[in-house]
Amino acid sequence: MGGNIEHRFSPYTDNGGTTLAIAGEDFCVVAGDTRQSEGYLINARYSPKVYHLKNNAVLATGGMHADGVALVKRIGQNLDWYVHKHEKQMSAPALAQMLSTILYSKRFFPYYVWNTLGGLDENGKGCVFSYDPVGNFEKQHWSCSGSAGHLIQPFLDNQIGHKHQSNVEHHLLPLDQVLKIVKDAFNGATERDIYTGDFVEIFIITKDGVTVQKHDLKKD
Amino acid sequence: METTATLRFLDAPASIAAFKHAASEDDIEATASACVDMAPREFAHPTFDIPAINNPVEFLKHQTSVDAKNRIKIQHGTTTLAFKFNHGVIVAVDSRATGGSYIASQTVKKVIEINPYLLGTMAGGAADCSYWERELGRRCRIYELNNKERISVAAASKLLANMVYAYKGMGLSMGTMVTGWDKTGPQLYYVDSDGQRLKADLFSVGSGSTYAYGVLDAGYKPDLTPAEAIDLARRSIFYATYRDAYSGGFVSIYHVKEDGWEFISRTDVNDLYYQYAAEPKPSLAA
Amino acid sequence: MEVLLGITGKDFVLTASDATVARGIVVQKRGEDKSRALNKHNLMLFTGEAGDTTQFAEYIQCNTQLYRMRNGMDLSTKAVASYVRKELATSLRSRNPYTVNLLIGGVDPKTGTPSLYWLDYLSSSVKLNYAAHGYASYFCMSTMDRYWKEGLSLDEAVNLLKKCLEELKVRFIGNLPKFVVKVTDVNGIREIEI
Repeated sequence: MGGNIEHRFSPYTDNGGTTLAIAGEDFCVVAGDTRQSEGYLINARYSPKVYHLKNNAVLATGGMHADGVALVKRIGQNLDWYVHKHEKQMSAPALAQMLSTILYSKRFFPYYVWNTLGGLDENGKGCVFSYDPVGNFEKQHWSCSGSAGHLIQPFLDNQIGHKHQSNVEHHLLPLDQVLKIVKDAFNGATERDIYTGDFVEIFIITKDGVTVQKHDLKKD
Repeated sequence: METTATLRFLDAPASIAAFKHAASEDDIEATASACVDMAPREFAHPTFDIPAINNPVEFLKHQTSVDAKNRIKIQHGTTTLAFKFNHGVIVAVDSRATGGSYIASQTVKKVIEINPYLLGTMAGGAADCSYWERELGRRCRIYELNNKERISVAAASKLLANMVYAYKGMGLSMGTMVTGWDKTGPQLYYVDSDGQRLKADLFSVGSGSTYAYGVLDAGYKPDLTPAEAIDLARRSIFYATYRDAYSGGFVSIYHVKEDGWEFISRTDVNDLYYQYAAEPKPSLAA
Repeated sequence: MEVLLGITGKDFVLTASDATVARGIVVQKRGEDKSRALNKHNLMLFTGEAGDTTQFAEYIQCNTQLYRMRNGMDLSTKAVASYVRKELATSLRSRNPYTVNLLIGGVDPKTGTPSLYWLDYLSSSVKLNYAAHGYASYFCMSTMDRYWKEGLSLDEAVNLLKKCLEELKVRFIGNLPKFVVKVTDVNGIREIEI
């Protein structure tokens, strides 16, 4: 007989990709690229990881694609049950807390997913929540995670938060300016991150609903 | 059903159950059914998915370790402190969250407002702290509704210690201080994920705690004025952020008083750097 | 670095535990009492894994007190030691055992006859005239071998304990500035300053 073989249970993979969300005064923008990779192989050029949920919140999932799909399915079921029970849609901040609890319920077998949630709060203001895989979350004005998160986040800190700029007026940016920044961010990340590219899908949440834009990114 | 004191365990053939085994799967069924009999349902432990493999503890330990292929970096690193003095309790924390060497956030709220008279602090796994202290808040509220009075800090901290002790060895990471003002005055407890629970006048927890202790111990006395105490706490956290790369961002300070806690301040450590740099160092002459 | 000591005398047991709680290189508390009164005439001292220690000690304390409620009488020192040993033995064979080392000291409430039991987390249990847990045993067992004798008065036992603690101060690298010293006799359990 041969030597001992060690079998390790390894249910995770990183499918790459980058997501971000930015809150405005009366809108919220959530975006993600659509490339799905495994190592140096590009599995798919259009595999969306940003999901428009029934309560008009938008969830961006990064990390492992399959876990993201499973998580979004579970959230969808919970949202439906909420409507049956309460005869209204769940608010985005309530969903934010629920998502944390769902993620923590798998504390010992985590979803391999880095989430960013965008929506409008009870007062119609844009809100963004970012998560770690086991449910730690924080309400923010803007957030970027995923394979190019560390490239884009400081760019957003500077352009959206005016960080390290002196003598500037701090104000929330209008939608057209936010969209320009999002496109710049993804084009820039595509140049420097092998896991980001192909297309960027941008979800715009306003009181009238959610609209989607799809833009080309470099395909190399 | 009338409300009689639950002394039913006196009749039970088994003796008082140990918390210890609640987390091992063999006993989960037994413990769960015991909970239904012994305690109200609202005090039953929440349930968690566990991978259907031989050793789930090793699995999680591997997935969060540096040699995992797809590593789950749980956010870590902190400096927190709290101390009792003649005018209550001062709580001070930094606001940095790190995943490995990446600064995931500079704006984390590491003081958890459990309710208007109880505070908890966050060190270790951020999700572990916020989840269990939220759960603690829920249990404290249920206690209040059942007993028409507020829970003591001693009892609240013990609820927390017992909850996390049931998951000992499963990889939870939590180092927290629970503080508040109850019938017996200002109270301060340290609770961690080992199940350790200590009562003392002064604690610092986290990767920057040794640096915070260095400043805090040198300047601490019980008869500080509130302003002096707040300044000492702020400086202690500042010097910890200065030496400990895993700490930084803003210093948040709370003051626990007889009528509940009060938020004092939130200061950018960068501003503190220039403020302290402009001041002369204190005299060392005896 | 934790230290427990126990010495039997004519009609009492003298015990000492260091008051330091440390985690890694940081001292978290000075002034912790690492003992629990199981009933009026029996005291249990504990060291070991953080969390396990108090959790186990309070579990034992609750059950010995429950025994009194049900039966109207207390367990003897020997009975307590047997019960605790069985609990440790069961725990040792479970998925996550308690890692706790113990000294159980007590007196017979009628005769005042003292007894002292040394137990470790592997559920060894030995009845001894004097005992130590932790690094103290390397330094203090020989001192107690040299000086202990049958029928010590309290003053004599305190002097012997002082010799032990003095030796720790001189030769042990650990810094243990404070000990909680307790006497258990027919009048109950009391803390003393030495």
